Amino acid sequence: MSGIQILQDILIIILAGYMTIDQNGLVIMSWFPVIVGTIAGIIMGDLTTALTIAGTFQLMMLGVAALGGASAPNYGLATIIGVFIATRTGTGIKSAIAVGLPVGLLAIQLEVVARIIANFLAHKMQSDNNKSSWKKMNLEAWLGPILFSLQTALPAALIVFFGPEVVTFILKVVPKWVTDGLTVAGGMLPVVGIGMLLHYMPVKKFLPYIIVGFVFAAYLNIGVLGIALIGFAAAYWYFFSESKKATEVETASASGVQDDDEGDDYDE
Amino acid sequence: MMNDTEKYKVTKKDRRKAAIRYNFMACNLFNYESQMGPAVAWSMAPVLRKIYKNDDDYKAALNNHFNYYNSTTVMSSMILGATLAMEERDGIQAKDAVQSLKTSLMGPLAGVGDTLVWVLWPTIMGSISGYMALQGNPLGAIIWLVANIVFWFVKLKLFDVGYTSGTKLITSLGNKLTIFTEAASIMGLSVVGGLIATVVKISAPVKFQFGKVALNLQTGVFDKIMPALLPALLTFLIFKLLGNKKWTPTRVILLVIAISLVGTFLGIFKA
Repeated sequence: MSGIQILQDILIIILAGYMTIDQNGLVIMSWFPVIVGTIAGIIMGDLTTALTIAGTFQLMMLGVAALGGASAPNYGLATIIGVFIATRTGTGIKSAIAVGLPVGLLAIQLEVVARIIANFLAHKMQSDNNKSSWKKMNLEAWLGPILFSLQTALPAALIVFFGPEVVTFILKVVPKWVTDGLTVAGGMLPVVGIGMLLHYMPVKKFLPYIIVGFVFAAYLNIGVLGIALIGFAAAYWYFFSESKKATEVETASASGVQDDDEGDDYDE
Repeated sequence: MMNDTEKYKVTKKDRRKAAIRYNFMACNLFNYESQMGPAVAWSMAPVLRKIYKNDDDYKAALNNHFNYYNSTTVMSSMILGATLAMEERDGIQAKDAVQSLKTSLMGPLAGVGDTLVWVLWPTIMGSISGYMALQGNPLGAIIWLVANIVFWFVKLKLFDVGYTSGTKLITSLGNKLTIFTEAASIMGLSVVGGLIATVVKISAPVKFQFGKVALNLQTGVFDKIMPALLPALLTFLIFKLLGNKKWTPTRVILLVIAISLVGTFLGIFKA
């Protein structure tokens, strides 16, 4: 193994670990596949392959959000692993999906473990507060980011150390319809993210806009940016007409009722 | 009492420090019991130490922040800025007011914040930059990264906004934000409609032979009915499945993989 390869191995593990810290806090590169994938591509020295893989996982991830403490498949880790395997073994996107996807799915379990361990950490910090050991409490907090980084750094390390050989071997043994099937699945999987997304959003209220977007894309072949602009036009109109209505209601009720109760905004 | 004799005046540097600490730690101490509570306590610890010179008050104030808390970081910056102003003014007497402000605002503001920050923004940026990446263009990813850096500084700024404008602004903003979120949802759903037709890739190019006539299921039947018919049907099916509590996203993903494998094995789908 050459010096460059060892350096790449280390950087990929650091990238995977830092990704979770960033996703939990700064949200600058977060776990978004195109961003982490671009960085992984620069590390591996093959941006073209990396971008194809990152784009594929990015589309799969659309709509997948970990909200309110819920766990979702880690497509960011899938991307880093996928880029590493595909460029190191030279097997391309097929192996990226075949290896990255299962790892991304398994990483959810580690997240649950990390959050359970964090519970002990939280209690430790609070008991140090009660003992007036504030210096200790302040230092202990740093164990949090370290703990959470392991959730992605450990799987990445395992793949980096044992992956390439194992993957090359497995790809030789596994029949073609399996790898082909996984590629087909890669094309279909964005539907899960979109399905989740629709559950977060007011679908019933704004169903016509989905149809508008669909027709523009399916029948007229207008790109995403164009559809986003059409959507923006509708949103712009909606925002100003509804704001106007809201202020009209506000002024009407303010003149009608003497006392201005400011707390009535959240009574739904 | 301590508070009456010498009140500490919170400086801009104090606020900046608390905002940076919070917008770094946020979910990095996330646990199932108090969720973001420890991160809030840790972030506010240095500035609260300056406000509470009495050890027991300081302890009580921190324990107050160790309690259950969870909201979007953008909105939390504002909420914590506002609670800091309350604690600076009233000291430990503000304890209950601080707690009730946090618990009453974190829910509604997280609803708005999560939709904007974690759903709409990544969906629109993700679909545009994802397509660019597939064409070998990293520009979308770079623009997204730069925008996120700008956002981070906006979050620091929002801490100051919460501190100076206090609770009233957050409450009235909440009302406006609901309309804003709905407007953003309109844009988001238009994009989603387009994504269903373009991003979801499923086709069944299987050929049937009727004597001398060959019929391709995809081009001969489905495409004749309407373009992107299968993606639309699949989306509807998955949407309905996800509405069922038994079908977690992971389970649905495994189902899609299973369908793909079986379909490819039988020759209905082609890679």
